Amino acid sequence: MNLTEYVNNVYHNTVDVSMPAFGPELVICATIVLMLAVRLFNWGRRVDVSYLAFAGAIVGFVLALYGPAERTEIFTGMLVYDKFTLFMRAFLLLFLILFVVLTKLSGIPDREDGPDIYSLVFGATLGMCLMSSANHLFMVFVAVEMASVPSYALAGLLKGRRQSSEAALKYAIYGAGAAGVMLYGISLVAGLLNTAHMPTIALELARRYAEFSSSQLMVLALASLMILVGLAFKLSAVPFHFWCPDVFEGAAAEVNAFLSVASKAAALALLLRVILGVGAVPPGVADEPVAVQTAPRQHLADGALYVMAQDPAVAAETSGRGREEAVAQLTPVRNYMGWLVAFVAAITCTFGNLAAYGQTNIKRLLAYSTIAHAGYMMMAAPPILTLVGLDSSRAHDAAAALALYIAIYLFMNLGAFAIVAFLRNSLRSEEIADYAGLVHRAPWVVICFSIILFSLVGLPPLAGFLGKFAVFAALADGYVVASQAGVSASHLLWLLVIGGVNTAISLFYYVRVVKVMTIDPEPESRTPFSVGVFPVAYVVLLTIPLVVLIFSWNFLNEWTLQAAAQLF
Amino acid sequence: MVPLVAQITVSHYLVVGAVLFVTGAVCMATKRNILGVLMGVELVLNGANVNFIAFGSPFLREHHLGLDGQLIAVFVIVLAAAEAAVALAIALNFYNNHTTIDVDRAEDLKG
Amino acid sequence: MESLPVLLGLAVLAPLASFFVILLLGPSLGHGGKSAAYVAIGAIVLAGLLSFISLGIWLANHWPEAPHDDHHAAASEHAGDAHEGESQNAKSAHDSHASEGVAGDSHAASHHGSTPPKVSGEYYVLAKIGDLQLSISYYIDSLTIAMFCMVTLIASCIHVYATGYMHDELHDITDHEAHTADGEHVHRPGRFHRFFQYLSLFCFSMLGLVLAGNVLMVFVFWELVGICSYFLIGFYIERKSATNAANKAFIVNRVGDFGMIIGLMAIWSSLGTFAFDELFEAVRPGPSHVLQTPDGMVYASAQDRVRDIARELGPDATPDQLETAIQERATTENWRNVGPDGKAPGYGYWLLIVAGVGIFCGCVGKSAQFPLHVWLPDAMEGPTPVSALVHSATMVAAGVYLAARFYPFFAPEVLFVIAIVGAITLFMAATIAITATDIKRVLAYSTISQLGYMMLAIGMGGWLAGVMHLVTHAFFKSLLFLCSGSVIHAVHTNEMPEMGGLIKKMPWTAYTMLIGCLAIAGAGIPFVIGLSGYYSKDAILEQGHLFMTTNPGWGAVFFWAAAGGAAITAFYMFRMWYMTFLGKPRNHHRYDHAHESPWSMVAPLVILAVFAVGVAWPIPFSSLRLSTLLEQARPAGGLNDMQGVLVNMVWPNEHDSHAASHVIPATLIAFGTALSGILLATMFYVWQPHLAGEVRQQFSPIHRFLVNKWWFDELYDWIFVKPTHVVSGVAARFDRNWIDWIVDGSAKVTRRFAYGWEWLADRVVVDGFVNVFAGWMYSLGLATRRVQRGNLREYVLFILVGALVLFVVISIFRVTYAGGS
Repeated sequence: MNLTEYVNNVYHNTVDVSMPAFGPELVICATIVLMLAVRLFNWGRRVDVSYLAFAGAIVGFVLALYGPAERTEIFTGMLVYDKFTLFMRAFLLLFLILFVVLTKLSGIPDREDGPDIYSLVFGATLGMCLMSSANHLFMVFVAVEMASVPSYALAGLLKGRRQSSEAALKYAIYGAGAAGVMLYGISLVAGLLNTAHMPTIALELARRYAEFSSSQLMVLALASLMILVGLAFKLSAVPFHFWCPDVFEGAAAEVNAFLSVASKAAALALLLRVILGVGAVPPGVADEPVAVQTAPRQHLADGALYVMAQDPAVAAETSGRGREEAVAQLTPVRNYMGWLVAFVAAITCTFGNLAAYGQTNIKRLLAYSTIAHAGYMMMAAPPILTLVGLDSSRAHDAAAALALYIAIYLFMNLGAFAIVAFLRNSLRSEEIADYAGLVHRAPWVVICFSIILFSLVGLPPLAGFLGKFAVFAALADGYVVASQAGVSASHLLWLLVIGGVNTAISLFYYVRVVKVMTIDPEPESRTPFSVGVFPVAYVVLLTIPLVVLIFSWNFLNEWTLQAAAQLF
Repeated sequence: MVPLVAQITVSHYLVVGAVLFVTGAVCMATKRNILGVLMGVELVLNGANVNFIAFGSPFLREHHLGLDGQLIAVFVIVLAAAEAAVALAIALNFYNNHTTIDVDRAEDLKG
Repeated sequence: MESLPVLLGLAVLAPLASFFVILLLGPSLGHGGKSAAYVAIGAIVLAGLLSFISLGIWLANHWPEAPHDDHHAAASEHAGDAHEGESQNAKSAHDSHASEGVAGDSHAASHHGSTPPKVSGEYYVLAKIGDLQLSISYYIDSLTIAMFCMVTLIASCIHVYATGYMHDELHDITDHEAHTADGEHVHRPGRFHRFFQYLSLFCFSMLGLVLAGNVLMVFVFWELVGICSYFLIGFYIERKSATNAANKAFIVNRVGDFGMIIGLMAIWSSLGTFAFDELFEAVRPGPSHVLQTPDGMVYASAQDRVRDIARELGPDATPDQLETAIQERATTENWRNVGPDGKAPGYGYWLLIVAGVGIFCGCVGKSAQFPLHVWLPDAMEGPTPVSALVHSATMVAAGVYLAARFYPFFAPEVLFVIAIVGAITLFMAATIAITATDIKRVLAYSTISQLGYMMLAIGMGGWLAGVMHLVTHAFFKSLLFLCSGSVIHAVHTNEMPEMGGLIKKMPWTAYTMLIGCLAIAGAGIPFVIGLSGYYSKDAILEQGHLFMTTNPGWGAVFFWAAAGGAAITAFYMFRMWYMTFLGKPRNHHRYDHAHESPWSMVAPLVILAVFAVGVAWPIPFSSLRLSTLLEQARPAGGLNDMQGVLVNMVWPNEHDSHAASHVIPATLIAFGTALSGILLATMFYVWQPHLAGEVRQQFSPIHRFLVNKWWFDELYDWIFVKPTHVVSGVAARFDRNWIDWIVDGSAKVTRRFAYGWEWLADRVVVDGFVNVFAGWMYSLGLATRRVQRGNLREYVLFILVGALVLFVVISIFRVTYAGGS
């Protein structure tokens, strides 16, 4: 294989296969460049960049709606492009559109800072898009970093405030530390298995798991735990959540919305990618992976598995694996990951709910709420892992449940933080006690906030119930199927119970906010204020899906099922 | 002194990487100066880098990571630099607000 | 023709839309709700336009034929001989006619024994239970269209009139006839828009009633117009008299509805349908359309025979076999005509009579016939536009309309009952009107009397006469009411003894009212031309004369009652006119304040006067006139002679009344009675005013009897109201002493138990547990909070420590649970 052909192959792969699939990300890049370039000119200084950002987000969203019929690996196997990517990208770009509108309405970025802020947001979104399509362990690291580093800067957006700078510092240091640990773990895994490409890892594990010595297995376990540290950091899972309350309290409410929705969603997508990339063999994988070097004159077919192995022998050895057999061989890996994620999910949601009890700052309360919801969402992963080997369609249902929860979560959290932002503008306070008796002044806002809070609890007939129900149903399904197949899956049952109890105990702190807003009497020292028409309309618009979805959420079900169908 | 003239295997590199990693981790966890913490971050990332290089070397093992190792290491260096830039900017902002770079002074947000 | 249901449906819905608009937006429409009137007027004018467009479409498709008086005059000579017999089918006489090849052959056939042109169908099926179907359907023939045009036209005029009459309601009002608890006059804000809201709802209900294609729908709208009447009569809700009157109207109507429901039940249970088409087909099957008991009713009545048949067939017979056997037996034994005692009437005839009388009971209530007439005079408590629209022209006409619509269904005995009721009513009401002093009371009794006329006409077989009188009466009665309202508006009193000499002050009102009086009296030049009332009253008297010739006994009673009533009518109408407008003013204070009404009130008077004069005239040089238009709607078989089964009378074919032998006497008698009535009135009230007082003294018992309205109210009070009070008193005492004791006692026991249980189970056990648990959670939560201490170094340390701890934990798990890592 000579250099020319190699370069030709890579060029062909990049331009013909990868770039068309990369449309939305390219639009994001173009928008960033445009926003920054506009400032080079004098006339550009007077342009309101938020419109540029809005246009870019819309174009990106439109592009993100069209997608492939089959799973394709792009950029020589670094990223995977399937319906799940489509779903996540559409979600992230939709969120971006709503976020731009939010910032325009709440007035956070002024003319000077506009381009910077939007560049950071768009950059983080780009990283998140990469997170949801990562197919290579290194990509995991790069994407996590790409999503996190702009977030560090965003947390410190309000330059003049002490708390903001402290939040940014904590976030940056903590994030760097967690990412470092994750990278070390990646290095150990890559070294042990001689590849960092996730499908190849899966096949390798399937082939060699039985031959590993116990010390090798321990290293594998520890290394995957360290990878989980990085993922848990992004997910704000206990015990790697310490940054979350402080950052949320210090940063602006809009940034919190961004972090709690987009960042979490991308982190969950990444979690799915990692555990399924390593624990299961994806569909459409050729039974005979073709090594780039060993097929010099062959035009590399799209969708083929890329193995960056220099050694032909390795390529020969990894071929010939039947898919089902490989999946079956990976069961111990999946079990391990399942227990790990289950344990972390359980303590996450419990801790998040309990710690929210005594909060007085609304943003901190919502931070703990975010932690708890991350716990609930993580609960959907163990049943997927259990069901992959047993009943593929039910496993898809479980994955669709997670996607459904994410989709509904968008509206709930964005709405909550939007309201916090608007009330901060009007009331100049973020303490819960200052919201007393708000229902008399801003009834629409209070109604929407109450609906959102009740939805966060998961009460029917609001949409939050749908998400929780889907996840719990997946847990129950997994347990039933596993018991029928004779596989022990008691951790699923425990998760179900813990999830239920947590939902119950979470009622307290959400409803306390509602109570303060509606029942508590207004303080006499309150000056008159008003929340504008457009902010209220925005909030109402976000709340409407929460109320209406219970009547017909079938379309959402279909989308998420389609998205999950190509995951594994 | 057999160990000193023993063949340098991948394990040696791994030990170096581990030492770097642990040093960096301890540094991050204990230093009170922000810049010291950032140095710890760099150390951690570089420890991982050494690992990658070691695993990717065709001379140390029969089955290896290949070019991936070195490529990854290069990218990580770039990433570390970018991260450090941002972290330094944040540290500067912190200083502007608190007039100190003592990490322990960042205690307003708690509970 | 296909667009007729849509057009008329829209015409029905336009006032409903206006109702909703005013209901929702009322007070904010214009200053004080003034624009509500425009909305209502707009809606009703739109409905009117649609009605007239429908009329145009109808005429384009079904131009009425020329009246064939001469043709039938000749025929009646023939038929006169044939009528001596008892044949129910007079078709033979007319058939011979047809064979003579007289011009108009085809139309003879089309009249005798074919259904009238109509458009009927369903808008919407509400429910289908097996074979039974309830639906919103329509039945449009020329009667429907004529009613639509009349109702919308009169309603439009009255809406415009009301904007002027109800002007006071635009601002706050002090009501001098209503008192609060401490004796003060009630002071209240105006309710201008509310009035038009009710008027719109009423128009919707009335038009819907006219359009209805099945009896149930008629009943629904029947009740709707009833409730609208209730609202409108009781418009001045603060006045006790008004609310009492509204209650009286509704309750008396309900009594009539009771009979109507019985009739509906009879129809439903035996025939299983309410639709007009199917009912008429069942009771007058084609092609001869002779009245016969419908099969359903025959079988329903012949239950003992049916049981015999079933017993003969045995328990194994299928329902089909049973049905065939029943039908065979019914034909061979002629169940329809031969009853259980071997003679006529056959099975089911009584059921048919019950159904007819039941439906007619509803008409008695709604059209204020004897004995349910007592509500109409009291209904004058409502504002005058209400009286004009609801209680003279439209709602009370609904009873007559239903009688006309349901005419094919009435057995001759039912018609006899209708005629008797009508005759009594017309006579009684006319006599009471002689002595009434309230101007609106006079008109109210006049309305009752004229309705009696219509019922009498229909009862005597004069379908066209009755319906024509309905239409003409609507115009001149509403005109009279509006004029009286104009007078009341000017002098602020209803009492005629306080009026007098107003013709100088209110010429427009006076002369239009004169036209109305002349119309109701049936004034005209005999055999030449007359006002609208002339034609319709003459038609009734012609039919009466024919009936008298055919049935000498009862017919004479009816005819002379009608003729006498005509005389009395003319008398009291002109008495009213003279007392109000001529002579010297009896109350100078009121006279000085009197003035002519504004144009918004006078213009409708003029319009209605024009119609009162000419609505029965033909369109020049064409065959289109009211009578020919309505003739198109004559029910199938309506021109057959009918022989009563239980009573030995014959109901003659109405066309025979056009023969000269009936027209001439009737016209002369009509003219004579009208003239004598007018002369008598003139004598009593213009030439020799003192005579009135003398006559009153001379005949004071009679006068007292009449002034007290034949003591009907007192009679009903004694028979119905007082006993009800006694019974309700007993029931109330029982309720209060016994039932309340039980209920309150058990309530006390339950309450005591609840207190105890609540304390024990809820407060001690449940709350205790919940509070303890919540307390634990809360302290746990607060404790958890303290983990986050804010120290960054600690956080980073926890990354490493956490990873290690997790590793340890997971290894333990793996080793103990999953067996090996």
